[in-house]
Amino acid sequence: MKFRAKIIDVGCLNHFTRVVNTVSKLSKACVLRLTCDHLFFVLSGKVASGGVSMWCELAQVNFFDEFQLEGVSADANEIFLELAPENLSRALKTAQNARSVKIKLTKKNCPCLTLAAELPSLSGVSRVVTHDIPVDVIPRRLWHDFREPQMPDYDVSIYLPPLKTMKSVVDRMKNLSNYLVMEANLNGEMNLKIETDLVSVTTHFKELGNPPWGEDGSQSTSASHRDSEFMAQTRLDIRKLQQFLTGQQVNPSRAMCNIVHNRILHLIFLHEDVSLQYFIPAVV
Amino acid sequence: MKCIIEGNGIKVFGKAVHALSRIGEEIWLDPLEEGLAVRTVNSSQSAYACFFFTPLFFQKYIPDPDTRKDSDAVKCKLNIKCVLPLFRCVAWRERSVDRCEITITIPDSRVIFQFHCKHGITKTHNLGYQECEALQAVFPAHLCPNVLKAQSKLLGDIVVHFPISQEEVTLSISSYKVALKTFYEEEDGCIKGMNTELMLHPDEFDYFQVGEDSAVTFCLKELRGLLSFAESYGLPISCQFGIAGQPVSFTVKDMTLEAHVVLSTLTDPNHESQSQPAPEDDCPVKIPKTSTVEVSTSEDPMEADVCIAEVSTSEGPMEADVSIADGERVVSSQGSEVFNPSLHMRKMIQLHAPAEILPRPTFVPESALTTPITPATFKIRSLLFGAVLSDGGAGNTADLPSLVCGSDTEEDGGSQETQERARAATAASRTPTRFNITFNAILTLHTRGLLATETFNAFPSCGL
Repeated sequence: MKFRAKIIDVGCLNHFTRVVNTVSKLSKACVLRLTCDHLFFVLSGKVASGGVSMWCELAQVNFFDEFQLEGVSADANEIFLELAPENLSRALKTAQNARSVKIKLTKKNCPCLTLAAELPSLSGVSRVVTHDIPVDVIPRRLWHDFREPQMPDYDVSIYLPPLKTMKSVVDRMKNLSNYLVMEANLNGEMNLKIETDLVSVTTHFKELGNPPWGEDGSQSTSASHRDSEFMAQTRLDIRKLQQFLTGQQVNPSRAMCNIVHNRILHLIFLHEDVSLQYFIPAVV
Repeated sequence: MKCIIEGNGIKVFGKAVHALSRIGEEIWLDPLEEGLAVRTVNSSQSAYACFFFTPLFFQKYIPDPDTRKDSDAVKCKLNIKCVLPLFRCVAWRERSVDRCEITITIPDSRVIFQFHCKHGITKTHNLGYQECEALQAVFPAHLCPNVLKAQSKLLGDIVVHFPISQEEVTLSISSYKVALKTFYEEEDGCIKGMNTELMLHPDEFDYFQVGEDSAVTFCLKELRGLLSFAESYGLPISCQFGIAGQPVSFTVKDMTLEAHVVLSTLTDPNHESQSQPAPEDDCPVKIPKTSTVEVSTSEDPMEADVCIAEVSTSEGPMEADVSIADGERVVSSQGSEVFNPSLHMRKMIQLHAPAEILPRPTFVPESALTTPITPATFKIRSLLFGAVLSDGGAGNTADLPSLVCGSDTEEDGGSQETQERARAATAASRTPTRFNITFNAILTLHTRGLLATETFNAFPSCGL
């Protein structure tokens, strides 16, 4: 098993760092899946993480100047590593003005992802800072836990309101209640509601637009017959939603969500070269 | 003592107090003729810091206004939690405070901080102090084989790579590189957190001297205070150290002040198991590779506490043989001039009132042996700290710095052992030990570095 990659471009390095920062805000531990063309940060929806799951996909060619991978075996040319993204984030943080950043899989007492950054220095010789991030190699038999999630059979798919607005609304609502109901319909309307014994607050968003998934077959046929006024809703733990919104470091070019009535909220954020999917299960 | 700090100086003093607060819980104020020394030591006595302000720093500096008793200015210590809030609100301070007067009044046992602000406002804070011995570290910085001097920005850029929570780091030096890396106690196999290592080329430093390849491990957290102080004023920092086990000292100097931080380092268990601790009385002794430091701050000036100090020697080509019984010569590993401790002792005594030298206890070799170190254990050997006995009251005795027992081995029962050692040593005959004089002389000469620099020209940048 071998992995070496190198980033030379400062812009790519900054962008990669921002992605890693976002992932680190969403989870304490996640799985990094490496294939020849992509990197994935995966969080599988286990009870430990409160049922949320995450799938973040990066095309390696957009970030790395060099990328060499030798997977577990010829027919399974992939590597799955469990790590704490915060470590990776911290290692990248101080390397932002590096001439080059090399990442490779090494073994020092235990498997590590070693990040070596060449920093500008006062003398002719560059300063080299090396970070060893301990990782756990995930054996092949467990790989099935970390497959790409299927697009759920959603009831409503809708674009999200501007993130900043949504975030400030959710922040305020968090002070009042632990649970938030998000509902939306195919008319581009979305409501965020909280209800307690003393007070109920609803924020209405209109004219958000609905993504045109319909024709590519990923949407279940029954949805097209659905009443466009029907509000599909999910009741969520507000902290999970807030954590997701707070962690975003870059404004996505597209932000949308799929709601499966009373089951799950599926958030999809698309940037030019990164896609992030986040699933928050509904609370009864 | 009474002093007045003006304008910008208040900011500097405040920053100094902040830096000290990173290390210890209490600060010792020691008004000397040459200036005001503000010192602290951490609870395990493995880190010491001293900010020394010369009279130039102050608008006015009167060390001992109370000439009634013909005594020296009182030395006192304050809880740092009381002092720190006074220098907290930076913005307010810069805008409104014109000057700050610090007075130590003996009758009330109070240190008065009086801030004279704009618009006729005066804020007065009366802090109770504890009278005590002055605290001073005994550390022969000039004997250090390795010296690095760099701009504070460089050091700031280096430590930024290490998380704030990172306690210990290892600084290693060789002729072609300097490396700083995180230190973790070895556990079986896997490292728990992230390991970070930074390598620099010697050219990056303003001054680079490697007398001996070594790697010293010290607590970075305690150094950060000094680093941020130096960075705020763009002052260069010099670092002196030897082999593992010997303390490492960091110094910042300016026209008006000098700041030192001395940190103990971990001893290298590999070396220790090799060395044979068996010093003999009459011949030059190779002492095992640990610098056990007994520290104490005795409250009773009359108690001549035991000085037990060891120096580590290396088994490499550069050795600092320290002879105990005979020769008062310390051959420094750098081949600098051999100095004569007793000569300096006499000179030092001339600085103070003429007095007799208090008899010092003999250096008892056996008792100075370190507690047995098993390879599996790491011990931080703390530094040499001296309690400079004040001349107060009795007046005539030029009390020599004394190191009181209270070794800081982290081992259980360590303190008990050292107490026993101390008792044994005290019971021994009280002839001056040149060994101790060696260090003590160096220590006491530190104040303006006057005598020290006269003699040790080989190390102009060293000197505690």
